[in-house]
Amino acid sequence: MSARDAILRRLAGNPAGDIRAEADALLRAPERPAVDPAALAEVFAERLAGPSVSASLDRIARLEDVPGAVRRYLADTGLAGLYLPPEPLLTPLDWSGLTIESHAAIDGGAALAVASAAVAETGTLVLDTAPSAPMLPNFLALHHIVLVRGETLVAYLEDVSPPAAWPRARYWITGVSGTTDIEGQYVRGAHGPRYLHVLLLG
Amino acid sequence: MSGGFKQRAAAALADPVLKTAVERTAGTAEAKRALAVAAFADFEAARTRAAAIKDHVVANLGHYLEQFEANAVAAGAQVHWAETADEACRIVVDICRRAGAKSVARSKSMLGEEIGLPHALAEAGIERVETDLAEHIIQLADERPSHIVWPAMHKTRDQVSALFRARHAEPHLEETIAAMAESARRHLRAAMLGADVGISGANFLIADSGAVCTVTNEGNAELSVVPPRVHIVTAGIEKLVPSMDHAVHMLRMLARSATGAALTQYTSFYTGPKRADDLDGPEEMHIVLVDNGRTKMRAEGLAEMLRCIRCGACMNHCVVFRQIGGHAYGGTYPGPMGAVLTPAFDGLAASRDLPNACTMNGKCQEVCPVKIPLPTLLRGWREKSWREGLEPAGTRGAVRLWAWGARHPGLYRLGSAVAVRAMRLFGRGWISSLPLAGGWTRHRDMPAPQGRTFMELYRRGKRA
Amino acid sequence: MSTRRQVALFVTCLVDAMRPRIGFAAIDVLEAAGCDVAVPQAQTCCGQPAFNSGDQADAATIARRTIEALEGFPFVVVPSGSCAGTIRVHYPELFADDPVWLPRAEALAARTWEILAFLDEVCGWRPENVALPTTATYHDSCSGLRELGVKAQPRRLLREVEGLSLKPLAGEETCCGFGGTFCVKYPAISNAIADEKAAAIEASGADLLLAGDLGCLMNMAGKLHRRGSPVRAMHTVEVLAGMGDGPAIGEEE
Repeated sequence: MSARDAILRRLAGNPAGDIRAEADALLRAPERPAVDPAALAEVFAERLAGPSVSASLDRIARLEDVPGAVRRYLADTGLAGLYLPPEPLLTPLDWSGLTIESHAAIDGGAALAVASAAVAETGTLVLDTAPSAPMLPNFLALHHIVLVRGETLVAYLEDVSPPAAWPRARYWITGVSGTTDIEGQYVRGAHGPRYLHVLLLG
Repeated sequence: MSGGFKQRAAAALADPVLKTAVERTAGTAEAKRALAVAAFADFEAARTRAAAIKDHVVANLGHYLEQFEANAVAAGAQVHWAETADEACRIVVDICRRAGAKSVARSKSMLGEEIGLPHALAEAGIERVETDLAEHIIQLADERPSHIVWPAMHKTRDQVSALFRARHAEPHLEETIAAMAESARRHLRAAMLGADVGISGANFLIADSGAVCTVTNEGNAELSVVPPRVHIVTAGIEKLVPSMDHAVHMLRMLARSATGAALTQYTSFYTGPKRADDLDGPEEMHIVLVDNGRTKMRAEGLAEMLRCIRCGACMNHCVVFRQIGGHAYGGTYPGPMGAVLTPAFDGLAASRDLPNACTMNGKCQEVCPVKIPLPTLLRGWREKSWREGLEPAGTRGAVRLWAWGARHPGLYRLGSAVAVRAMRLFGRGWISSLPLAGGWTRHRDMPAPQGRTFMELYRRGKRA
Repeated sequence: MSTRRQVALFVTCLVDAMRPRIGFAAIDVLEAAGCDVAVPQAQTCCGQPAFNSGDQADAATIARRTIEALEGFPFVVVPSGSCAGTIRVHYPELFADDPVWLPRAEALAARTWEILAFLDEVCGWRPENVALPTTATYHDSCSGLRELGVKAQPRRLLREVEGLSLKPLAGEETCCGFGGTFCVKYPAISNAIADEKAAAIEASGADLLLAGDLGCLMNMAGKLHRRGSPVRAMHTVEVLAGMGDGPAIGEEE
């Protein structure tokens, strides 16, 4: 008998009842911190500024403003170059004056990404892998810049729409990489980016 | 093996560095969790819901495992099943061999420790690079984890500094923790990007999508499982949840209970290997579902232990753990949850000290996000130990004698009247040394009894 | 038929042997609170030592005796959170599969009270004309706190003692390290826990330590005395009965 058969045999005999209905019932009115639906951007901004998220925020009005916002951030941090994923939303924008890398640096540098959604409850950015959106650059970079389109900002983690088809990876980023592994002292940039900069559009 | 618990505990109690380390991690975690809980309305109701979700999954575990497998396979993952720790290690090593792997990058997985994966990889001649900072530290030191969330909490910065100077190609120049973390970042980056295989654990397995969920604060899991050609997940079968929304509720409880944060920095959901047009990601994804005694626990009165989401709150709040730290427990898992699990993995005879070295104060149960009745489960091990005759003869004799006396009120009255008079021969007021009570008087004084029992006085009509 | 509550006192083996004055204090306050107190003579021990050692058979036998001894009283009152907890919470567990004894255990459990909770919640009593001008600090014994919810009640009662100033104890809900047989089976670990507890008690600045469980009190008082601390200890019910000026634990002649 295979291990699978042996294990399932030991688990056989589910209790009677509608498993799906029971599971759904367990999700009714979940307990969670309250988020004012009329103030999503404010709540989101507050979370981003919190000590464990430690992200900076820049609000922009139009998509065309993205390169300008990126130039401002890079000038402030003294970086010249930026990794740009082959994201159709970003490619047609005016990136003149910036060194655009087609490959992410192994360490250091900046990388731009477009979030699929963002969550006000926790200050979380939701990203998905896709042919136009590799995952690795977002973890190799020292500075991670993420564009959030305002209409994708939701109140609660449950409000994030599931993708039409699950990608290889859907990943939530809730702040900068950090660790307290040595003597309990907090250090930023353990493996992932040390700096997170959010561009909130609209 | 936890034979020798008392010696290990004694060594731990004598170690002042350990005490500082424990207070710094577990003590801080206790304070941070309290703040997070105070800020969360209805935390008690959230605990009840979390417990109900896990109970529902465990009751229907076969159903959810099959659903998970079907969805994971549909997404392109390969699902393997292992009954035992050895089987699980063999499967992982075989996958590595077939992939021609010379090195694997590992992100933290307590299950990996549990099944002995580091040892199996070493035996197979496969280089293992631990990418979690704490796991990297203890790999350099050739030690086992001493806490499930902060595996290297027992190490001082000086010890870490010495390890990094000895083993990193470009170690830190300044003696600061930031510089040391930076050194590890440099040292491990190349290893992560160059590994043939990435091995991660799973915090949750999502049945209705076949997704594997990992949570980290460092981002090392992502860097370990995205670059390599092969991603292997080792997960206990109890990690299932029905859907993403169920996972969300559990995730809300997990970080708050562990570190006091609302969420960890990174929460990633992997569904199958890379898609055809993806620019990065593994070509193959293998998920090894591990039993290793879980179905047995479920069938033999330990189903509630399978609710555990490995947050570490129980040990952070345990007065015994706070004094002796994690290594004294001698198993993969320390603290209250370790005291319940270790007898299941290692057998009761080898580990009977663990369920006994507990004051039954109940704080662990109070802080457990899934309301595991840890004291009750520990008492269950004591009952089994008693039935199997594992308790020392002296203890058995004393308990049985006491019980016999308690069943015979007349003799009990006589016996207690004699005893309280006899005790006063050793001192009035305070007694500093008492035969048969060395365990007590070695460390504290014993108040002498009044000299007459309450029952004697009451029957004589006395009032005080 | 008396309009006073009919109460059986379950004095507990530790109080019976080591500090009977707690039992008499209990009778005094219960009478002051409008109860008639009987002391069933067949009682010995609630069976906790056997229960916590895993000796279910003996624990059940003792429990049956105790249930029999205490049946027939509308209220059973216990000057100990751990013993009251054993009867209320664990007796029904012991007889979960016993159709004869489970209802009897549940019936007894429903009528059994830790004394401070009983005085506060059931009797609505407050001490009158009781004075003890000193500073005290309070330790919440684990069983009473977590099994029975005893927390606010002793503080409400003590607030009415004239001149008594309650100082906060850092880590008041942290276990003292007694744990019944734990303190003699694992003395070194128990000692480390008790040392920390004693340090916190000393740091509170109080002259008197109060709690609701004699085992915990003996452990903490014994540790304080070994450390040379002047802090004294007694059971809360002694203070409420106006016996706070009597000998503290360890001060018997």
